[in-house]
Amino acid sequence: MAKEYDHLFKLLIIGDSGVGKSSLLVRFADNTFSGSYITTIGVDFKIRTVIVDGEKVKLQIWDTAGQERFRTITSTYYRGTHGVIVVYDVSNGDSFANVKRWLHEIDQNCEVVNRILVGNKNDAPDRKVVLTEDAQRFADQMGIQLYETSAKDNINVEQMFMSITKQVLRNKKETKERQAHQNNDVVNLRKGHSKGAKRKCC
Amino acid sequence: MGSRIRNDVVRLFECFCEVAGPSKEITVPWILQKFPEHYRKDELLETVPNFAYPCDFDRTMIQHYSFVLTNAESKWIFGFCRHDPKSETALVVLSYLPWHESFYKLLNCISNLTNSNNSKDLWPFLESVYNSKLPIKGLDLKINSDSGEELFVCQSPIQFQLPSIPENRNLTEYYSAVDCQNMIIIFASMLFERRIIFTSKKLYRLSACVQSANAVLYPMNWQHIFIPVLPQSLIDYLLAPMPYLIGLPHSLFQSLQRNDLGDVVILDADNNTIETPFDDLENLPTDVVSTLRRQLRNKGTLLGDGVSRAFLRALVKLIGGYRDALKFHQGERITFNKEAFIESRSANMQPFLKKMLELQIFQQFIEERLEMLNAGLGFSDEFEMEVCNYHEKSSNRLKHQYKDWTFTMKREGTALFKTVKNAVKERGKDFRLAYKDIRSKFNAPNKNPRTKIGTHPNSAPNSPSMQKRQSWSHTTASASYRKETANGLQKLTTSQNFKDSSISPLPQINLNLMEDLKEVIFRTCDNDDPRKYTSSWDDSVKSNFIINDDLINSSFGSMPSESPMETKDLIRLDSTSSIDDFDPLNSPTNSHGLVPGVGLSNPLYQYFVPLNKTQLETKNNNDLLNEYGLNFDLLSCTDQPGPSMSTSQPPVPPLPPKPPNFKSNWTKFE
Repeated sequence: MAKEYDHLFKLLIIGDSGVGKSSLLVRFADNTFSGSYITTIGVDFKIRTVIVDGEKVKLQIWDTAGQERFRTITSTYYRGTHGVIVVYDVSNGDSFANVKRWLHEIDQNCEVVNRILVGNKNDAPDRKVVLTEDAQRFADQMGIQLYETSAKDNINVEQMFMSITKQVLRNKKETKERQAHQNNDVVNLRKGHSKGAKRKCC
Repeated sequence: MGSRIRNDVVRLFECFCEVAGPSKEITVPWILQKFPEHYRKDELLETVPNFAYPCDFDRTMIQHYSFVLTNAESKWIFGFCRHDPKSETALVVLSYLPWHESFYKLLNCISNLTNSNNSKDLWPFLESVYNSKLPIKGLDLKINSDSGEELFVCQSPIQFQLPSIPENRNLTEYYSAVDCQNMIIIFASMLFERRIIFTSKKLYRLSACVQSANAVLYPMNWQHIFIPVLPQSLIDYLLAPMPYLIGLPHSLFQSLQRNDLGDVVILDADNNTIETPFDDLENLPTDVVSTLRRQLRNKGTLLGDGVSRAFLRALVKLIGGYRDALKFHQGERITFNKEAFIESRSANMQPFLKKMLELQIFQQFIEERLEMLNAGLGFSDEFEMEVCNYHEKSSNRLKHQYKDWTFTMKREGTALFKTVKNAVKERGKDFRLAYKDIRSKFNAPNKNPRTKIGTHPNSAPNSPSMQKRQSWSHTTASASYRKETANGLQKLTTSQNFKDSSISPLPQINLNLMEDLKEVIFRTCDNDDPRKYTSSWDDSVKSNFIINDDLINSSFGSMPSESPMETKDLIRLDSTSSIDDFDPLNSPTNSHGLVPGVGLSNPLYQYFVPLNKTQLETKNNNDLLNEYGLNFDLLSCTDQPGPSMSTSQPPVPPLPPKPPNFKSNWTKFE
């Protein structure tokens, strides 16, 4: 059966409630009209298939309710995901503080997780309290990319999602290559060995 | 905070719906009628029919089950469902309260009213339930018909109660469907926060097992996706990469593309089988698992809360050390020290404890405890009690001896008590009248200013129970009594006759007892400077407390601190330690008349705190005795406890109690 995609990536979107996670998802998703279950079962996801360098990448982006109740989000939460989209509201300092704490925490505890920092609601300069310079400085410090978006005005949303997708894809390929490299000898040995075994059988 | 149960619930239920099942004409289930009609949470209501008819299922018998919805704050709303093969509709009650037994009863009442001739009574009935105030913990809510006939009784759960078999339907179902080994594997999988699927052909089994698997994690709460019954339309949610606990009806399970799922743990509750790609059980400390297994396999102790307690004890061993890891400096918030936590347990446990720190459920547990401590709130619950028991067992050799002795005391006390009860019954009313007065005197000494200050919402300042010594004895774990009995029995029965005074090891132990008594008294009384008692505390007892030099709140845990705002760094990790051993009348139901504590106290029912608690139902022996003005707790304080317990006194009612004597005894320590 031909696969409908070359890669399936599961991404998480995290951030306080009210920073516009759902709006970002709706902007990005294929199926804008599918209902949302975040307020009924506490979890929601959206799907979209994109083409990156000629490859079909299916993205599932997952969101859960009430994340702000976590002072820290522990590694078990990220365990099964390929990447994390960390969202704050540029007009809400607290939401940025939370995000900083979570990212620090991920940095300390987790293996490398693909991450991207997103300042949403970047559409009303007079209400902006998290300055781009501050956010950029923090992003640099953490070694991650920063995107300032507006789901409302559809600014930078597409670019942001493509950026994290590319990052995850690049990471996957690098990891594969590295593994292939490391396993090269092992693979050869095994091949030789199995051949030998086959001969014996025959 | 860790709890997923709302703590601001004002009414028993939010909404009742009658849902019509899918038919040839209308293929989707839909809401036929609802009460109250003004209920307008459309998102919820849209989802309800799907959960009431989640898939094709066996409708040949009456079936109760519950589903869970999660709101944006991640709090749960429970949907209790009743399916009747004779009916084309399902009855659903939505509530924030996890009181399964009560709501299943309510659904039966509703069904009776719907099917009977007096179906016109249904709406008034719903209205009166809807408008009733929530019953205070341990009390009943009764709804009568116009003719005075009792239609519905809802007993609000008692504080300090672990789910017990057979009263708790969920746990009973879980325990009978899934064997010990598999329960432990699920427990381990949950501690590693896996993606877990339960499946069963029976919806009630599905929801019961999922609910119970979470309940035995107490004092922790599952923090992730939690869907006890997943409807067909939401089956894609099994692809979620985050940890989850989902109940999947078996018909849907069969159609599942297993390859898409990734690593999941699957429990088939009908066949009692588990598939897991993980070695979680192997990664739990072996001694914890072996003890847990032994306790679960010991059929004799599993009625009551034995199963819940076995898991609780396992958790005490795993995470009880959090108390040793609390750090506080004057003027700063109490914090949790990860390194100290890991070092709190033996080397073989430390690898697991490191993993524990990465669990969301553990993080939330710690956060919750810290928040309460930093708010100056004391708390006391089954978990903290077991922690104390554990400390005690592992720390002090003398305590073992002492336990044996207290066991004897308990046996004596029980025998004595039974006779007393009979005598009391015979004497009847006169007896009651005669000692009413005395009882009030008993209560009098404790009416101190501190108890009156209690305006804190977490206390029950008006509660008569606060003024009784019984109020701390509630912190005795009821089943620990049973277990001690069982242990003690093994040790003692061969050689000892409990009525034989010659065997008492009293002279040795007496001192120890007095130390404990000091603590008892110290905690019961209002002291100006409680610190002076600390020096005389038994070390093992003291180790269970973290004591602030500035202030030691002498009250027991759930009492309000005098003014939490002013008392910096107040920390009262409620410890009862050896106090437990003193209650000769401790019985599994000895939970009435308790001091309502802070909401942490109960794994399932942590939503409200009674403000006034004056008419407690007297249902157990202890309360019956209390009703007659007898309080063995007080008595054991009154008399020199040693001799009276060990000698072969004829078990006559030790009446009348002597308030003056009592008083002089406790004031002696001041």
